[in-house]
Amino acid sequence: MVARSKFQELLAATRQPPKEVTIRVKRYDPETGKVWYQDYKVKTFRGMTILDALLQIKEKIDHTIVMRYSCRMGVCGSCGVVVNKKPSLACQTQIAAVASEDKPIVVVEPLYNFPIIRDLVADFGDFFNKHRAIKPYIIRKDPDEVEKGEREFIMDPHDLHEIYEYSLCIMCGLCYSACPVSAGDPLYLGPQALAQAYRFIADVRDEGYEERIKIVDTEHGCHRCHFAATCSAVCPKMVDPASAIQRLRKIVFMKTLGFWKKKKITQIAGPLKEPLRQIEAKYAVENILEGVDPEEQAKREEKIDLEL
Amino acid sequence: MSTRKSKVKLLKNMPGVVRASIDPFLVRATNNPERIMFILHRVTGVIIVLYLFLHIYVTSNTIDSARWNSLMEQFGASIVNKIGEFIVAGAVIFHGLNGIRLLLVEFFGVGIGKPEHPKPPYIAPSLRAAQRKAIYIVAVLSVVGWIIAGILIFTGYLELPL
Ligand code: SF4
Ligand code: SF4
Ligand code: FES
Repeated sequence: MVARSKFQELLAATRQPPKEVTIRVKRYDPETGKVWYQDYKVKTFRGMTILDALLQIKEKIDHTIVMRYSCRMGVCGSCGVVVNKKPSLACQTQIAAVASEDKPIVVVEPLYNFPIIRDLVADFGDFFNKHRAIKPYIIRKDPDEVEKGEREFIMDPHDLHEIYEYSLCIMCGLCYSACPVSAGDPLYLGPQALAQAYRFIADVRDEGYEERIKIVDTEHGCHRCHFAATCSAVCPKMVDPASAIQRLRKIVFMKTLGFWKKKKITQIAGPLKEPLRQIEAKYAVENILEGVDPEEQAKREEKIDLEL
Repeated sequence: MSTRKSKVKLLKNMPGVVRASIDPFLVRATNNPERIMFILHRVTGVIIVLYLFLHIYVTSNTIDSARWNSLMEQFGASIVNKIGEFIVAGAVIFHGLNGIRLLLVEFFGVGIGKPEHPKPPYIAPSLRAAQRKAIYIVAVLSVVGWIIAGILIFTGYLELPL
């Protein structure tokens, strides 16, 4: 039932959008402190995204509108905005999916729960600081193992599978913007940081779980989450922060009771038992033109005329 | 947290805890009944706490039997009292049942699925796992329980013999 609605959402994105849509942008001017909604009429084309529309507005209608974007393909995570009350990546949201002939209007707002610098640009400073706070890197008892990095850590595919989903986060802040707890508590670490805390605690290469658990086991840490799961519902990368936080919480809970111990910590790969197999490169001997010597052919100098 | 000094005035764009706790249309994410449960859980929680205070106040009158009897005569069978009881009964039933689900999910990580490699249509595993089914069960049981409570309350089955 619910899965179907998601399919319908995806299906709608493949349709032709209305010929012309109104993009209603929530704007903010930091110099005067004014907040207002401004409507722009945009001619659409098939496959047009919200970001395309915003760029068209900036290019052709109103140069003063400000937004953030970079990759235009859902990789950099900088174009997060709230489209029709749902935090979304502007570059991954089709106009056809959010506007229809009956309702050719799309409301675009800056991300909730972030301080706004101007128009659609949110200040990610605190958000990134929270991410930094949970130490998002491999910590070893012997730091040289990471810093010198002479050999790799052993990690089998199952170990990777456990954390792979969570490692896909692009730090777009959509989850943070959707979370009802972040909406009331500016100090709450937020789904993104907590999911990353779990991702590193669960990583078999990591030994810094003690310090990380101390950081999340606080008033503004993982216990604040109420499993509204909106973070997972809006995440464009299917990171599923809600489940990561519950797993993290189980770890913290069990550890407090004294029942939790990290199951597996891998070591650095040892020296090679035998040297790597050397393969001698040879020119093809089969399936070549008759009478042609590949060695000869390779030696022949080819003049390539680069000027067209 | 931010140590950066800047002259620009930032717009605070936070809906606040009250709005996030009662407004189901604050964020319109599809496929997210968990959020509705979250809001109902908060609202019913507040109802229960308010009831608790009222309950403490009312039972504090039992010290004086004359006052208690007159209080019961006045309010014991009044429709206001019954509606109040009905609301509290619904709140307690829902809060209790959903609380079991939340305990399992939040403390024991039960029913949130397993990590997966993302594949279309990209629905997060925890939104498809057992906890989702638990939501429907909680919803159905709460409604059934509430109806039964309503019948008991409004037919006078629960009334104390005065
Ligand atoms: S968890 Fe998802 S929504 Fe949140 S920042 Fe990462 S990619 Fe964005
Ligand atoms: S599951 Fe937790 S972190 Fe995610 S939206 Fe809900 S309260 Fe926020
Ligand atoms: S512009 Fe990079 S994610 Fe949208």
